[in-house]
Amino acid sequence: MAETFIKVENLSYLYDADDGNTRKALKDLSFEINKGEFVAILGHNGSGKSTLAKLLNIILTPTEGKIFVGGKDVTDQNMSDEDILALRKTVGMVFQNPDNQLVATIVEDDVAFGPENLGVSSPDIRKRVDEVLGYVGMTEYAKHEPHRLSGGQKQRVAIAGVMAMMPECIIFDESTAMLDPLGRKDVMEAIERLNRDKGITVIMITHYMDEAARADRVIVLDDGRLILDGTPSEVFEEEERLRECGLAIPQCTELIHKLRAEGISLEGECVSLEDCVALIERSLKKQ
Amino acid sequence: MSDKITVENLSYFHARKTPYEIKALDGIDLNIQSGTVTGLIGHTGSGKSTLVQMFNGLLRPYEGRVLLDGADIWAKPKDINKIRFRVGLVMQYPEYQLFEETIYKDIAYGPKNMGLSDDEIRERVLEAADFVGLDRELLDKSPFDLSGGQKRRAAIAGIIAMRPELLILDEPAAGLDPRGRDAIFNNIVEYQKKSGSTVLIVSHSMEDMARYCDRLIVMSGAKILLEGECREIFTRADELSAVGLDVPQITRLMLALKEKGIELDTSVFTVEEALEEILRLYQDK
Amino acid sequence: MKSIAFGQYYPAESPLHRLDPRVKIILTILYIVCSFMCKNVLSYALLLISAIALVMLGRIPLRIVLKGLKAVLFVLGFTAALNIFWTAGEQLLFEWKFIKIYVEGIYAAVFIMIRITALIIGTSMLMTYTTTPIALTNAIEDLLSPLKKLHVPVHSFAMMMTIALRFIPTLTEETDRIMTAQKARGADFTSGSLVARAKALIPVLIPLFVSAFNRAGDLATAMECRCYNGGEGRTRMTVRKLRFADIIPLFLILLFGAGLVALNILKIGYTM
Repeated sequence: MAETFIKVENLSYLYDADDGNTRKALKDLSFEINKGEFVAILGHNGSGKSTLAKLLNIILTPTEGKIFVGGKDVTDQNMSDEDILALRKTVGMVFQNPDNQLVATIVEDDVAFGPENLGVSSPDIRKRVDEVLGYVGMTEYAKHEPHRLSGGQKQRVAIAGVMAMMPECIIFDESTAMLDPLGRKDVMEAIERLNRDKGITVIMITHYMDEAARADRVIVLDDGRLILDGTPSEVFEEEERLRECGLAIPQCTELIHKLRAEGISLEGECVSLEDCVALIERSLKKQ
Repeated sequence: MSDKITVENLSYFHARKTPYEIKALDGIDLNIQSGTVTGLIGHTGSGKSTLVQMFNGLLRPYEGRVLLDGADIWAKPKDINKIRFRVGLVMQYPEYQLFEETIYKDIAYGPKNMGLSDDEIRERVLEAADFVGLDRELLDKSPFDLSGGQKRRAAIAGIIAMRPELLILDEPAAGLDPRGRDAIFNNIVEYQKKSGSTVLIVSHSMEDMARYCDRLIVMSGAKILLEGECREIFTRADELSAVGLDVPQITRLMLALKEKGIELDTSVFTVEEALEEILRLYQDK
Repeated sequence: MKSIAFGQYYPAESPLHRLDPRVKIILTILYIVCSFMCKNVLSYALLLISAIALVMLGRIPLRIVLKGLKAVLFVLGFTAALNIFWTAGEQLLFEWKFIKIYVEGIYAAVFIMIRITALIIGTSMLMTYTTTPIALTNAIEDLLSPLKKLHVPVHSFAMMMTIALRFIPTLTEETDRIMTAQKARGADFTSGSLVARAKALIPVLIPLFVSAFNRAGDLATAMECRCYNGGEGRTRMTVRKLRFADIIPLFLILLFGAGLVALNILKIGYTM
């Protein structure tokens, strides 16, 4: 049985909107995330998904409800500063804008920033920095200035910076939204690898369906509520529901759904392009 | 059909005469037909952002000419501002350029620079707001009170209010969710139809290009790689993938099926067309 | 816009580039002190030679160094002229109406030019050309760290410098982008009166400030997420240990200074 890593109980978050009213960004949210799981959180702009990310890291504190990380109640009012630091070391975060999260003027100094804050010894920092830069494929840029890198490269440096803190879980808050297709591809590969090879729990907030399709599990938020939770295949079945909350399923999946609606029997998962090709091929050969 | 823009042997360098010199445009010949929606696609660094800044005279070519309705835009360098009103450019993430206290004033900035009367400005601001689907109630609000999507629309309206003959949009849907993307693209296409102007969209998304554009220009390495109707371009998947670009997902699916030995028409790029084509296969059996 | 690179660091392999930045800062201060101890022909000659030696040690192309001096050519000329016309002495060289030029004036002018030139070459060779801004910042933090005991926020100051250095290129690019965007809406930054031009900058400055504040907010959150806690208990990846080779230049400059003092005391070297 998989071990629960994050547990969210009846989470709500109220905020003061610009017009002076109080609004609910999250409404009575409950779910669990297992250790080593790769979870995509989907939702349209303004669905509350970024608020959720900030709550999981206690950058924001919930209005109601509780969050447990590794069995510890991190929403407890009596959390000490050390407890908060320990949480942020355990749950790292990569943000949307690659320019706004790099602190240092040299790539390797930036990667060292986290471990330096944690008081890791100098030789250990060196070791960690070299290792994680190699891991995200940025070793040859170690001495470069961040502003000369492409968006995708900057994001990989940001990932390295979080990995250097040796977290158990990394939250990606729309980390591919500002990248071009090549940058997105590189970053997605890095994310998948650190989940598969390093066993790091990944929570990926996105509105790209093709990215969500690569996760183990998809949670869909709409207007601050959890509306769907399941494997990509299960969630994509709910085409209408997704469309209602401003999301679109991958085109290939949509095609399979349409073929089924025409009475053609296509049995099996249709999440990736390869799935869909195999389904159609098999069904045509049967005829 | 007449050409809105004609480009002849256009070359441009970044950081000219420094050790960092980069050839951004390399002897480009090109034309954009009046009254079409044309898509411009290419990787970051392929020269597409430089090219669009040539069309409204933000950059001046080192070699070659840019013709607007057949006339060289640099014939009178002092009047280059007039070209910028005729060729409207919406830059990437344009919401960052909003600066006025109210949305109304911000949309009016361009028309005001054109020296129009207050009445004329008012008419254009309202018209532009309608085109981009921005509620008139929002016009008196500060840009800070708007959501990201609304700010994007307001910024686009600021260009449309100049009533450009050619409207260029650089990644107009970047960072928006699927609903936001569709809404913005539909607005743009509708605007093109109603105003009869010419539209050029720069984007990374082949799927969006396939849905909304009549013609496509593909750039790679400071040169034009392919140019033609969408359907034509997407049949040349090999040439596109050679420079790391993709055909739309649906076309990829059809190509993969063909590779498996299934006989079908691969010049298909929307879900509806693919549905029809695959259903035909089942009926043939 | 990008040509105004921040700092003038010139990447090269040289003894000066390799020297510990902390030593370089101390050397710079001592060098400035030395330049003010020069009082006679011989010491000024030595000062000039030392400046040339520094250029050679730093392996910076002469073209770059001279370009740096070009910026202060006016200051050089102006102070030289002041000294020529306003220094009174004993040996009158030239007289025309109220203009009197003395030999002492010529000497004073030459000396002041040598001093300014040596000061500029010395400081830029020791610091800006051969040290990255970030290395300088770290070195200043190290040198000032004793002040931490007096509750001077040395670390915060250094952090601010680092972040400023990191974001200057980003904001420069952003300024470029916003200017282009407003130009596309017919903004004109180059013609009209001074007031009109200043007004034309408003559409650039406002979005720039808004974006800078947003970035600052984002960065603060990101730093918090990476466990930044105001510098307490922080370690460093690279701790520079003072090598023997770093100490030699300190001896040399002390020797140089002592030599200059000796020349002054013994009154040798054609004191004017």
